[in-house]
Amino acid sequence: MQRHSRLSRLAVATLLLGIVPAGAYAQQAVTVSGRVTEGSRNEPLARASVSIPEFRFGAQTGLDGRYSFTVPAENARGQSVTVTARRIGYAASSLTVVLRGNAVVADFHLAPVAAELTATVITGLGIEREKSKVGTAQQQITSTELNQTKSINLLEQLSGKVSGVQITGSGTQGGSTSIIIRGANSITGNNQPLFIVDGVPISNTGRGLTGTSGGNAAGGGGTPNGGYDFGSAVADLNPDDIATMSVLKGPNAAALYGSRGANGAIVITTKKGPSTSGRVRTEITSSFSWDKPSILPTYQNLYGQGAGGEFMFVDGAGSGVNDGLDQSYGPKLDGRTTGCTFKSGTTEYDTSAPCLQFTSPNAASPWVAHPNNVESFFNTGHTMSNTLAISGGSDRVTARISVGRDNVKGYIPNNDFSKTSGLINGTVRVSSKLTTDGSLAYVSNIAMNRPGVGYNNGILEQFVWFGRQVDMNALRQYQQGGATNGGPDNREFNWNYNYHNNPIWMMYENPMKDTRDRIRGSASANYQVAPGVAVNLRTGADIYRFNVDQHFAPQNIQGNAIDPAYFGGFTFLNDYSKQVTSDLSINAARDLSSKISVNATLGGGTHQEQFNTSSTVTTGLSVAGIYNVSNAAVTPTLGQFDSRRQVNGVYGDLAITMFNWLTLEGTARNDWSSTLPESKNSYFYPSLSASAVLTDAFPKLNNGTISFLKLRASNAHVGADADPYQLRTTYAGLANKFSGLPQFSLQNFIANPDLKPETTDATEAGLELGMFNGRLTLDLSWYNKATRNQIFTIPVSPTSGFQSKAVNAGKISNKGIDFLLGLTPVRTVGGFEWTSTFNYSHNRSMVDKLAPGITTFVIGSSWYTNIEAREGEPYGSIFGYSFDRDSATGKIYTDGGLTVLGARKVLGNIQPKWTGGWSNSLKYKAFSLNTLVDMRRGGNIVSITNFFGEYSGVLKSTLKGREEDWDKPGVVVDGIDINTGQPNTVNVPSEYYFQNIFPVMEPYVYKADWVKLRELRLGWDIPTGWASRLSARAVNIAITGRNLHTWTDVPNIDPEFSYTVGNFQGVEFAALPNTRSWGLSFRITP
Amino acid sequence: MTSNRMKFVASSLALAMSAAACNTDNLTNLNKNPNNPEDVPAAALFTAGVVRGVNLWLGAGYDLRGAEFVTQHLSEVQYPDEDRYVRLTGGSTQAYFDNPYIQQLEDYQKVIAKGNDAGEAGVYGPAMVMRTWEFGYLTNTWGDIPYSDALKGDDAAGLLSPKYDAQKDIYTDFFATLDKASKDMAAGHGSLGSGDPIYGGNTAKWEKFSNSLRARFALQLVNVDKATTTAQLNAAFSAPGGVFSSNADNAELAWPGDGIYNNPWAQNFATRDDHRVSLTLMNLLKSLNDPRIPIYAQPTPADPSVYAGSPNGLVATSMAPYITSASRPSALFYPGNTAYGFYGGNGNSFPSFLMTYAEVEFIKAEAAERGLATIAGSAASHYQAGIRASMEQWGVPDGEISAYLAQGSVAYKGGTEGLRQIAAQKWIALYSDGGTAWAEWRRTCVPGTVQPGRDASQSAVPRRFQYSITETSVNGENVSAAIAAQGADAFSTRMYWDKSPSAAPTYFVGCGVRGQAPPP
Repeated sequence: MQRHSRLSRLAVATLLLGIVPAGAYAQQAVTVSGRVTEGSRNEPLARASVSIPEFRFGAQTGLDGRYSFTVPAENARGQSVTVTARRIGYAASSLTVVLRGNAVVADFHLAPVAAELTATVITGLGIEREKSKVGTAQQQITSTELNQTKSINLLEQLSGKVSGVQITGSGTQGGSTSIIIRGANSITGNNQPLFIVDGVPISNTGRGLTGTSGGNAAGGGGTPNGGYDFGSAVADLNPDDIATMSVLKGPNAAALYGSRGANGAIVITTKKGPSTSGRVRTEITSSFSWDKPSILPTYQNLYGQGAGGEFMFVDGAGSGVNDGLDQSYGPKLDGRTTGCTFKSGTTEYDTSAPCLQFTSPNAASPWVAHPNNVESFFNTGHTMSNTLAISGGSDRVTARISVGRDNVKGYIPNNDFSKTSGLINGTVRVSSKLTTDGSLAYVSNIAMNRPGVGYNNGILEQFVWFGRQVDMNALRQYQQGGATNGGPDNREFNWNYNYHNNPIWMMYENPMKDTRDRIRGSASANYQVAPGVAVNLRTGADIYRFNVDQHFAPQNIQGNAIDPAYFGGFTFLNDYSKQVTSDLSINAARDLSSKISVNATLGGGTHQEQFNTSSTVTTGLSVAGIYNVSNAAVTPTLGQFDSRRQVNGVYGDLAITMFNWLTLEGTARNDWSSTLPESKNSYFYPSLSASAVLTDAFPKLNNGTISFLKLRASNAHVGADADPYQLRTTYAGLANKFSGLPQFSLQNFIANPDLKPETTDATEAGLELGMFNGRLTLDLSWYNKATRNQIFTIPVSPTSGFQSKAVNAGKISNKGIDFLLGLTPVRTVGGFEWTSTFNYSHNRSMVDKLAPGITTFVIGSSWYTNIEAREGEPYGSIFGYSFDRDSATGKIYTDGGLTVLGARKVLGNIQPKWTGGWSNSLKYKAFSLNTLVDMRRGGNIVSITNFFGEYSGVLKSTLKGREEDWDKPGVVVDGIDINTGQPNTVNVPSEYYFQNIFPVMEPYVYKADWVKLRELRLGWDIPTGWASRLSARAVNIAITGRNLHTWTDVPNIDPEFSYTVGNFQGVEFAALPNTRSWGLSFRITP
Repeated sequence: MTSNRMKFVASSLALAMSAAACNTDNLTNLNKNPNNPEDVPAAALFTAGVVRGVNLWLGAGYDLRGAEFVTQHLSEVQYPDEDRYVRLTGGSTQAYFDNPYIQQLEDYQKVIAKGNDAGEAGVYGPAMVMRTWEFGYLTNTWGDIPYSDALKGDDAAGLLSPKYDAQKDIYTDFFATLDKASKDMAAGHGSLGSGDPIYGGNTAKWEKFSNSLRARFALQLVNVDKATTTAQLNAAFSAPGGVFSSNADNAELAWPGDGIYNNPWAQNFATRDDHRVSLTLMNLLKSLNDPRIPIYAQPTPADPSVYAGSPNGLVATSMAPYITSASRPSALFYPGNTAYGFYGGNGNSFPSFLMTYAEVEFIKAEAAERGLATIAGSAASHYQAGIRASMEQWGVPDGEISAYLAQGSVAYKGGTEGLRQIAAQKWIALYSDGGTAWAEWRRTCVPGTVQPGRDASQSAVPRRFQYSITETSVNGENVSAAIAAQGADAFSTRMYWDKSPSAAPTYFVGCGVRGQAPPP
């Protein structure tokens, strides 16, 4: 008996820990051994688990793909049993063997598979488990699924592929992609999930530069009001290095990660080296794509720059008739060369006066449209990505090293981006008991001239305030200077000198370079102290430096205005981020009987975060062209902010599997956070989950139609701490001295020494179903979660002397359903297979309660339009000015023919009703066609591009009322005269109509329904004979496309946009559209 | 397994647990903010307060994008939404209401507390004066505002939604505050030293500013409470230290002009070309051959020999021609190189005037003419002294001042006409302080030509601004109570001191209404 228990401990330990005992214990009973392989060349597959489910005996394969375990004599009665081999990302395979004699050999060949209900998956803390025994919602994405098409942001490649997850791509190449799992939990806090790579959390901080005139407040990106979006840090990962991504959906699945897992977690494992008996494997992936903006506004080409139908260029600053204006309500673009202005005192064109333009300020020139003047600003960009990986090993040591390089030539002039990454992973089996793993990654990002976003910096903002007659090609000659067309002689050649810089000049003369250098590394040791018991020590760090050098030429007036008395300016920004996580845990597994097995983990660890930033800004240089602090004529404004946080935690996990079909699991964690008051800095969170495989419990269910049925349920309670430094009110120093005098000001925020942790309670239930021999799979979840005691800064009356106060208050709840449906409608013996996957996410968020006395909280604001959390409404209300309407008929009021400003009210909500992704894969022999359609239905967005595009008269929609001439036929608003109560009959010119709408945003709130053809891939595997000449197992060549088409009713813009990983979403201004790209890809699989 | 192994495991885990759990002291210390101090010297708060306050009330926000157009010293020639009152709603002007409370008023509060703790009137006195100077703009722009409950958000009680006080009570406290400030400072303890960017720690000058400001507020009430006006004027003039007696006493902020702290008008004009001198001001100056014309205005871009004003409140298309045909504001406020050419030169370091000697002389002139207080000297002599002070302040040569004063049209006429002359000269002298000029105009109806522009969204000149939309959302109940007490939250609602406009001798029916003729 003693021997028996020792053996079973051993068996389970090897199952869990993947350590193959060298020289298996000699046994009388039956030894089951064999080899697990994959691929056409039967490569060994390590870390596959092979077991006899009936007895729970099993082992994991070593690096050579071999396994071996022994069935004790009392179990080996000469009967037939099923041996099953499983591995993450592969379909399970079973063989029947007869337990007779000394040894049985069972070899397996596993085939990769996308979504498999019974596969091995990664759960919290990176523990590999059989999916059938997991009681929480989790979805795993393989490298193949992830890398169908190439985007330079990893998360964009994930878009549309995971249920319960809303991913919003940034139009800016290299910009921030927001990811929210099952709705926003927090009003002001972080709502992005935790990212963990090979067991170590990494930073996904967004970085932006916002503000004008030297301001450089750190944000999570840009905003509709302006700024630059430097993207979020998770984009540094090379997708070709990723083996699997496991999305833990919400607090239930991620409870073991503590507070940082409250928004769910994405657990990434990188590719490791295989055991190849010393042979070298080479893996190459290459892709090249041509990139274009996917959607540009539809402009009108009937009227040029000016106002009231008149325009004449003299100096582009107001000396000519309307030539200082940057709107397009001027004369009709009918090719006239004279008569662009009226005879004095009339509205009759003076045909004796020439039409003067910025290109020919002294002579009449034809007044014509340049219909492509925006499109021709953009280039065809291209993206080239290459990854080369070399791997191999022996049965004791394996390694993989990869080098990746992305080169992006942006579709905006003089914009490019490159990423170089290197990753080395190694495993050393020091002894039969000790295994060590090491990983080191280096990433270097270099970007030139990231395009600005939003009102003050946006490239597209230039074309909202624009003259439709402007010849873009003429603007390319900016070097000739402003004096050549009557403008200021110190300015660049341009079409307008009041509000704008030449857009091409800006891209070439105001270069901005940003770089991020990052090192991520981890080391771990796993020591088997006894059979079934192992100690695991792991430490890892994620460190990066990020810096921005932004140069402004003299006479820059847009975004960051340069003091015209000097010769340019600069903004330098330096960030340093460090996260270090160390954990020590002990894992034990034991079969208490043949019916009950236990799996336990106990551990503790510490997580430290450090973030430092400093900035140096000047608006004036002494000598042009030298961007160095020593050359600052205006004393630089300096900024510095340091932030530290530490969370210590202990945790435990106990899973009990009974009868091999019912698993009950409990987790518990206690954290101590530095950001909470000493008396309240400890918080405990437990979770419970259950998983029942009914088809195993009731084999009769397994009737050929239903092959697998599992029910699961869980409940979790998770805490979260505050941001640093919210406990004590302090004075903020002003960066500059006034005539040498230091300046301080009390901060605008009332600290709260009594903060306590915020808590999220979440309940979920799910069903996993396999039918028709796995040709239909369904993974369905229902969840209900609520976050209480939110730590947020409530706005207080500014007359109290402060803007906000940190409090614990409020409740946000999220309820929803998500599912992943997999179908294989056709599978023929001839090799044709059609698989289809549909994922669906419906989340209903509700702001149940805010703080006492507060009914709304403003998350962000642009042009009098807010995104708010309003009590009793879903998170993300759009709040702004409406039209004044007659309450009886609902018709718009007019006054003098113009609409009337009404109350501020809720105009919509940014939450979608549902989002979904539908992917299809058609395979016939060597050919494959993959498509992904990504969709969103319901919810609203606000488009300030449309709002100002109509105000300025550049959009085609502003032809309304000036189809015939600048003032004809005019607009008669379908409304009721507010003075008479009678239907409005007053005819107003369209210019007045559109400009009078300001600041009403009501007509610019759109239903954000869209469907996108997100991915298309047509691939061909070259014949294996040819491939083998390249020493490759497979070579795949493909044509790929991303964002090929968008179906939407939202005019002029891409309805999918994000400037930030922060919570201020849903307001669009001058957002660059998502990139449409066509490409070629080439992949050599060794 | 051996017991040694177990010991190893147990001790490792114990180590990990203790590291995690027991180290809360270090954890707490980690959260001590390394960026900001928890206490700072009073002077550093005072400096920041003054700079911000002057920047707001005499700078690019409240003044250049609001008050200057309402009072019609300047007009707006590009995107003239403020000049048409369109962009003066509670959403557009909220920062002018919110920011002073959040920033400088709260900081003055701390300076006063620190000064009181140290028993140093030279520290808390100037802060009381500056605080009152700013509250003056606030109440004169919005009427009833949070005052007695304000700025107490971090007190033990934590008043987060202050009530609105009646303007009458606010003025009463102004007088008490300034009385205490000048008396305490006269006793002479402590000073802000070089941290005082206005007088460099000279408390005698602060006494004068305090008393002069008291006179300004006293006169503001004359239409509704003449008795208080009289009492407070007498108190102000007889208070220790007296009032401003020369331009050397002026409360002004000297801007370093270092590219970071530039004169706020010059800062704006460096990159924006939105402002022209208003036709209202230009006509008045021209009618009196005022030598300040070439100082207050620049020649028109179109013709270097012409000084011209532009009308207020037209739509963009009507306003556009005035970009070239009307005068830019004073070259004194231009920094030299601008984004659209070279104008002025030293504007970046031109001072901002918080209150001037000229204004004090005009207060005395009006008080003398109306017998509001015991005044040494005649109305005429103070009227002339006021004009001379203003012209000297703006750099008019002595000969031109004398010639101007010698003109029949300028000679003091006495009576209601004299009051009109005093008010007009004061309004002219207040150039670059739109907020005070607007309050004066509302009190006197002078100049009578101030009327909304043709395309203004209101047919009458605003009597106040609308409350901040921040306040309506975060302090709604108190705003509602204020509206119930004061009247609708509209441009047309008259605040306490504006309730009896016809009590002003210079009042005329239709004052400030579009299309109404001013008195001849």
